[in-house]
Amino acid sequence: MKTKPTTFFEQQLEQVAESSPLKAYHYARVRQSRAFMERYYSRRVNLDTIAAAAFMSRAHYIRIFQQVYGVTPRQHLRSIRIEKAKALLKTGLPATDVCLEVGYDSLPTFSKVFKDGTGHSPRAYQKANKSNPE
Amino acid sequence: MIRIHVTSVPVDDQEKALAFYTEKLGFIKKTEIPLGEHKWLTVVSPKEQNGVELLLEPMAFAPARVYQKALQEAGIPWTSFAVEDLEQEHLRLSGLGVQFTMEPKVVGPVMMAVLDDTCGNAIQLVQML
Repeated sequence: MKTKPTTFFEQQLEQVAESSPLKAYHYARVRQSRAFMERYYSRRVNLDTIAAAAFMSRAHYIRIFQQVYGVTPRQHLRSIRIEKAKALLKTGLPATDVCLEVGYDSLPTFSKVFKDGTGHSPRAYQKANKSNPE
Repeated sequence: MIRIHVTSVPVDDQEKALAFYTEKLGFIKKTEIPLGEHKWLTVVSPKEQNGVELLLEPMAFAPARVYQKALQEAGIPWTSFAVEDLEQEHLRLSGLGVQFTMEPKVVGPVMMAVLDDTCGNAIQLVQML
């Protein structure tokens, strides 16, 4: 049973949700595609495959995803890969192996994406986190 | 390059806030520097100890209390923290006696809830779905 909003904030949330042009199935499908990215980030997944997982054309999918999450699917996939790479680098795995593990074929590309995302090169990040193990 | 180093929540009592943010929410104390009658007191996530610090900022400027109180009464969160599993976190925090002004609810692409930090603020927890 739906409970009545108790605060001004909650009332505002409900109003915003009700006025959204997006339907429940839009949210469900992009969530599904997001789960797909979480699962297959280490593979060479392309946008057509991800859009297909959301049962949408590529262009429509990109537009809906951006409306829902505020970033493009490509940006989101990149963020997932950076987070996974950070975790792997902390384990001491060499940067070249981490690069392949998170779905990049090229170390320079991976290093650039990682630096843009974190402010550090993979090796610098690894070194910093090894010296501060807690 | 400029980066975000610290953000803050205003608190009425720094020691009480430190206890809540560490013992209940699970943050870790990072810095504590005496500054007159108050201190520079920050906490960080245990998962990102070199990440953005949260300053537990003493609410010493009286006019700001009016703003803080108005936000709290409207249930508007001062800030927002990310969690991986909101329902689990809600259960854990409720078990520790934390009061929620909004129970977990799905809003578009996220699930969110709002808790009372006992220091004058509504705090939002968000899980990306």
